[in-house]
Amino acid sequence: MTSSDFETLKTELEPQIDAILAQYPQERSALLPLVHLFQERLGFVTPEAVEYISEVCDVTRAQCQSTISFYTLFYRRPIGKYNLQVCRNLSCSLRGARQIMERFRERLGIDHLETTADGLFTYEEVECLAACDRAPCMQVNLNFVYDMTPEMVDEILDSIIAGTYPVAPLAQSEQPERKVRGPEWSRASRKSAGAVGVPNANNGGGIDQTGRTIAERFRKFGIMPISSPGRMADPELVEGMVPAPHDDTVMEHNY
Amino acid sequence: MASYEPVLTKGIGEADLTDIGVYRSRGGYEQLRRAVREMEPDAIVGMVMKSNLRGRGGAGFPTGRKWSFLPKDGRPRYLVCNCDEAEPGTFKDRMLLEQTPHQIIEGIMISAYAIKAARAFIYIRGEMRQGYEIFMRALEQARAANLVGEKICGSDWSCELVAHRGAGAYICGEETGLLNSLEGKRGEPRLKPPFPANSGLYNMPTVVNNVETLVCVVHIMQRGEEWFASIGPVKSPGPKIVSISGHVRKPGNYEVPLGTPIRELVYELAGGLFEGRTFKALQPGGGSSACLFEEHLDLPYDFDSIAAAGSMLGSGAMVVMDDTTDMLDAAWVLQRFYAHESCGQCTPCREGTHWSEAMLERLLHGHGREVDVSLLGTVGDKIAGHSLCALGDASVPFLQSVVKRFPEEFLRGAERVAAIQV
Ligand SMILES: Cc1cc2nc3c(=O)[nH]c(=O)nc-3n(C[C@H](O)[C@H](O)[C@H](O)COP(=O)(O)O)c2cc1C
Ligand code: SF4
Ligand code: FES
Repeated sequence: MTSSDFETLKTELEPQIDAILAQYPQERSALLPLVHLFQERLGFVTPEAVEYISEVCDVTRAQCQSTISFYTLFYRRPIGKYNLQVCRNLSCSLRGARQIMERFRERLGIDHLETTADGLFTYEEVECLAACDRAPCMQVNLNFVYDMTPEMVDEILDSIIAGTYPVAPLAQSEQPERKVRGPEWSRASRKSAGAVGVPNANNGGGIDQTGRTIAERFRKFGIMPISSPGRMADPELVEGMVPAPHDDTVMEHNY
Repeated sequence: MASYEPVLTKGIGEADLTDIGVYRSRGGYEQLRRAVREMEPDAIVGMVMKSNLRGRGGAGFPTGRKWSFLPKDGRPRYLVCNCDEAEPGTFKDRMLLEQTPHQIIEGIMISAYAIKAARAFIYIRGEMRQGYEIFMRALEQARAANLVGEKICGSDWSCELVAHRGAGAYICGEETGLLNSLEGKRGEPRLKPPFPANSGLYNMPTVVNNVETLVCVVHIMQRGEEWFASIGPVKSPGPKIVSISGHVRKPGNYEVPLGTPIRELVYELAGGLFEGRTFKALQPGGGSSACLFEEHLDLPYDFDSIAAAGSMLGSGAMVVMDDTTDMLDAAWVLQRFYAHESCGQCTPCREGTHWSEAMLERLLHGHGREVDVSLLGTVGDKIAGHSLCALGDASVPFLQSVVKRFPEEFLRGAERVAAIQV
């Protein structure tokens, strides 16, 4: 997107921008709605958008950035055309969310908060979506999908890839870079067990040279007493135990 | 119980209540018309006060009293409807938003009139994009029908209603976090006092109420405060939508009179447990509430009885867990939630939730130490009461209640390290 494209977009959105500003006694209140408006058109909050919004809302760019970075639904980097957000909270976990998450990770080959190399999918595990009666559930570009099964994961992905999925893709004004996860960014390494007193970080949830968490390595050799996350699931969905997906959250909120 | 007729959820699933014509044909907006044309604002406040309505957003604060705290100093007042529903296990406000948005608009407008608000806002959770669109269509219809905006229903009273979308942050459900977010800031809670009643949105007197609370106001107007006060226990009366999820056959929203026994909610309305399973625990009031167990099943479901049992009714979300639930895992899932959602302003909450999550994860992977299990309790004690807002406090009760009840499930995660250390 060139700067003249942005000017055109601004002009096009002017009536909506004015209507938003008129709703509030103070300009700054328009910040979130304006970010939503631009993000919807640009796919993410571009530097031009930040600059423009901070002017309109009468805040510094730093204040604007800081505010945007607080909210998980605002993206400061390009993301995939289909944002897959799977609920990982309790009611969904009790009814088989783990199997859904495993299937997504397997199929997409990416982790929580990552984007596929072709820029089609971003995958995220999110907190309770207020649809616990239809657990496990997820949102595709903020549209609900209820009563998920692992087979539905394949159906959804296949139909998006085939271009037949009924939800429109997100705008994408720039191709996302594929985010590479390094151990230094991993939360698992930051909170390695060593720091609370276990003498050797290797005893805890740290990352070894291979990039796997220690927990995974043990699990692989079958040494670790696997706690039984799979047990939280609906018996009709699960057979046997499925290991917990680890949660190496990368640069959260940092799109 | 069998004789109870739902009022808040009436018509949902039978008729398209998102259409203003349908809503009006069922008596909708008549109470708003009556309020602005025939009643004094203070009379409505009085009715709500006498009805003993308590807030449905989590804290259970008496609504009439909250309204009466507003200073009478001529500054503009604001009403904010809290539709940021993100408490784990709660899904009643989203249902109301998607299924009966006009009822919410009517509740907001009556309440805005009662407190003489200069403007009303509804803060809708960012993830509820579909609900937001439904609400915006309803709002347009209501505006066209002169129910929102200038000279409402031909009276002298004018008030705008603005829908504001959130953008993904549980903490924006906390009322002062919400106000900051509405002001275009990071959704970090403010130090109280001053309370919003005195210094809320733009530092003006502000009332923040939950969606369900304001919907109750419509029915207090329609059926009278005595009717409302006569349902269920004297101190916390009224109808309540209970969101039941987890290990039950028929999860869903059920509207019941407060005071309905928990057993009835779980085993009759929600269809009971799956074949061959036994009951283990339930959270009576969302992710932030301490667990109740077998011995509590016959308690009446109301604010005071649940509080007396050491938990809270909270948002009215019941999460049922049967004997297949690994409590260590469940505790980790919820602690991860609090660690993720902590806004980071206060050290006890920011650090405490993260370290508790780390300890739980370590135990879950079999790398924990025995001392971790007691440390979980200690860390909780350091968070509760030492944080700026109630999120810090909310991260503690579930964890502490299950560690106390099922210590062996947590200690199991420490067996391996114990064996090495001798
Ligand atoms: C962390 C946190 C999250 C909250 N989330 C919500 C929410 O999503 N919806 C809500 O109505 N109240 C929520 N509350 C409670 C509000 O702060 C406030 O008490 C409530 O909106 C008041 O409305 P009521 O008096 O009608 O219950 C939350 C509180 C805390 C501490
Ligand atoms: S208690 Fe937690 S969420 Fe609340 S203000 Fe403090 S850090 Fe933020
Ligand atoms: S726990 Fe998944 S929607 Fe509530």
